[in-house]
Amino acid sequence: MSGIGMVLNIATTALNAQQYGLGVTGQNIANVNTEGYSRQNPVLVAKQPLMYGGLLMGRGVDTEQVSRSSDQLIENKLMQEKSNMSSSSEMEKYMQVLESYFNENSGNSISTMLSDFWNRWYDISNNPSGTSERNSLYEQSALLSEQFNALSTDLIQIDADLTGAVNSGVEAINKITREIAQANDQIVSMEANSVANDLRDKRNSLVSELNEYMDVKAFEQSNGSLTIVGAKGCTLVQGNSSYDLEMGGANGDRVTWQDSAGSYVDITNYLSNGKLGGWLDMRDEILAKYKLDLDALAKEVIWSVNQQHSQGVGLEGFSSVTGEYAVTNSGSAITSSGLSYQDKVDDSSKTFKIWLFDNNGDPYDSDPVTTGLQGNPITITVTSGMTTDELVTAINNETGVQASLDSQNRLNISIDTGIATLGSLAFSDDDSNVLAAFGINTFFTGSGSGDMEVNDAIGLNKNFIAAAQVGSDGTMASGDNNNALAITELRSTSMSISQWTCDRINGNTQGSIISTLEDYYHSLVGSIGITSASVSRDRSFGEMMVNELSTIRDSISAVSLDEEMTNLIKFQHAYAAAAKLIGVSDEMLNTLLELK
Amino acid sequence: MRVANKSIYDSVQYNLGSISEELNKANEIATTGKSINNLSDDPVGLTQSLNIRSALSNIEQMGRNINYGNSWLTASESALTNVQNIISDTKALCVQMASGTIGSDQRVSAAVNIQNMLDEIVSLANTDVAGNYIFAGSKTDTIPFDQDGTYNGDNNPFTIKISQNSTIEVGSDGQAVFGTVFNTLVDLKAALQSNDVGGIQDGMDKLDTHFDDISGKISDVGSKMNRMEIKNNIFQDLNFSNTERLSKIEDADIAEAIMNVKAAELTYQAALASSSKVMTLTLVDYLQ
Repeated sequence: MSGIGMVLNIATTALNAQQYGLGVTGQNIANVNTEGYSRQNPVLVAKQPLMYGGLLMGRGVDTEQVSRSSDQLIENKLMQEKSNMSSSSEMEKYMQVLESYFNENSGNSISTMLSDFWNRWYDISNNPSGTSERNSLYEQSALLSEQFNALSTDLIQIDADLTGAVNSGVEAINKITREIAQANDQIVSMEANSVANDLRDKRNSLVSELNEYMDVKAFEQSNGSLTIVGAKGCTLVQGNSSYDLEMGGANGDRVTWQDSAGSYVDITNYLSNGKLGGWLDMRDEILAKYKLDLDALAKEVIWSVNQQHSQGVGLEGFSSVTGEYAVTNSGSAITSSGLSYQDKVDDSSKTFKIWLFDNNGDPYDSDPVTTGLQGNPITITVTSGMTTDELVTAINNETGVQASLDSQNRLNISIDTGIATLGSLAFSDDDSNVLAAFGINTFFTGSGSGDMEVNDAIGLNKNFIAAAQVGSDGTMASGDNNNALAITELRSTSMSISQWTCDRINGNTQGSIISTLEDYYHSLVGSIGITSASVSRDRSFGEMMVNELSTIRDSISAVSLDEEMTNLIKFQHAYAAAAKLIGVSDEMLNTLLELK
Repeated sequence: MRVANKSIYDSVQYNLGSISEELNKANEIATTGKSINNLSDDPVGLTQSLNIRSALSNIEQMGRNINYGNSWLTASESALTNVQNIISDTKALCVQMASGTIGSDQRVSAAVNIQNMLDEIVSLANTDVAGNYIFAGSKTDTIPFDQDGTYNGDNNPFTIKISQNSTIEVGSDGQAVFGTVFNTLVDLKAALQSNDVGGIQDGMDKLDTHFDDISGKISDVGSKMNRMEIKNNIFQDLNFSNTERLSKIEDADIAEAIMNVKAAELTYQAALASSSKVMTLTLVDYLQ
């Protein structure tokens, strides 16, 4: 082979290589802003030399491969941190909404309303027979109930929004895993020849995006395809197949995965990171706790007021009164009859009294046969294991009163209409809590924040607000404020109130604390603030970590325009020099050809 | 370390983001004048402020209760003082009527006076505050005394709360206060009508006892009013100190808040200035 031909050959390889280099530089410049792009480098190697004239002579340059600057370890760490951050960042968004519902800086807070509620009872204790005091207590109580209802609705709405978010997250995950499976397919077929840099970048971006939704583990197989395994070991991508997640469960709010046998596995509680983890933590741990706690508070407000209220009497007695709480089984013990407050009933032979009044409101002789019993009450004893039916019978055995269960299984107690002179009845001294548990002569109805209401009977006739107690001589005094005073005592009474701990893995556990109603609510609000502050801190820490790791990742993989401009000049000059080489060879050939 | 273009833009974005968040927070505090704008700003302070607010609400209510109680006690004091005056007048009349120089006609006509005084005392014993009878025990909507002095109330004095743990009787069992006074006056009237000097003298002795009794009742009312006054002062002090504590927890120190805004603003401007410089630097500009 002639020397000049060889130089020409070398120059050609150089032109090719430098041109390729310019191409790669161009690709890098073009992708300077592409998320997840790893800069590429042409790897130039000198061609295998040949023996020429007894010496080894180079044959020019070859572009062996285009390498990709990327560190999978850093990429993985970054994905993990992004997953953490998206979790806390989603939680933060919802915490801010939750916080705003409990913002106490407005006059419409439960705390203010609860204070005002007790204050209206003080007003009634000052003027027990006052109509305006009774009306304003009713209005205040309705406001308090409505505020509990509104909060309950708001929390249920957040819950529904979160389930909606999880649902859309599941759809996004399915779309991503399908794309990863596709990328796997393409990479495997392309890498028969060389490394598919851009496809790998794209697949990395997809995995990173997937990590923002849920935490997954990715394993690269020897053929270059990526296997993705999610929470509880469910395989999401294997080779060119992807496996969808689905919303399932009785309420359609659980995340399920179909295993190879075709049965659905509930993986909800194992999704701990990514947006999905954040939404589920928020829904099933944080929100669930505050929903239960708010219900526990409402339940105790209702019960404590009702329990005291049922001991008293209003400005008039009842001719007939129907309870607000229904039993599901009148044949079983009252303590397990299905009453909302069945656990509060004390059936260890505790008693309550029923007083009878004549048409003028004066004490009625409860036992017309035995004289001298005027103003004596009927005493009903609640014996151990007593059933609702037995209670009805016990009351019916007395003269002057009748008891029955209405069509909705609620207890009704009324005067014996057969006795013309009998006007009304009233209750007192209920140690058994039976009256309040059946919702007889109670102030509120319902048993949680969602269904709390002022008893309709009181709404229709404010005279039934029981500010007084029946005197020991069986008289009703409209100016008596003893029951109202007892109710105001509740403001500062410490009682045992349920407090919940919600954990997705270990389930919801009910504990209780001894606290006043007001303090319970205040610490509930404080706890929301603390949770919210800690979620914000997590988010801001996560953001910092992602920022740090991104900088490290970018220092390895991202494009620097200055660097590319330098490369541009580097390849351009090399290209010019190679062209020059051809020119020189041309001249040399001309010189040879011109020889005469 | 190699710095990629993306790193420069990302860090400009991240830093400007966190500085503007700071600026926004500082501005929120300065413009609202409150250091707690969200629950998460200071959950502990917030819980304290909720407790204080509820204490303040209770203090306000106690103030109302005390005012209400005072109106009862004032009415009670004035009624009792008038009754005392009437008793004293009756006594004077009786002293006159017990004298030997007085004839039976004069005594009979004095009996009419006694009836008037009786009527006057019944009317005073039926004193009400805004429709609530203060001498009817707990039957505050029942006129306690009939014209003949029959008592319709009960013997449970009307009580109100003047603090979380203390109650005070502001109404009275009318029977205990006036019952015997009526009997004495009815007897006196009869004695005058029947010209019974002995009866008049008996009545005079009883009037002395009644006078002392009523005096005791008046001083009792006085000391209750005093007690309420002291409570009221305590509540006013508490109101003041709680309001101050609330302000310390909730209100921002304006000088400090403005300083913080200024500082954040300065940092923000510096960051903007240096960012705009760094972002425009590129080798491209220097190549022909």
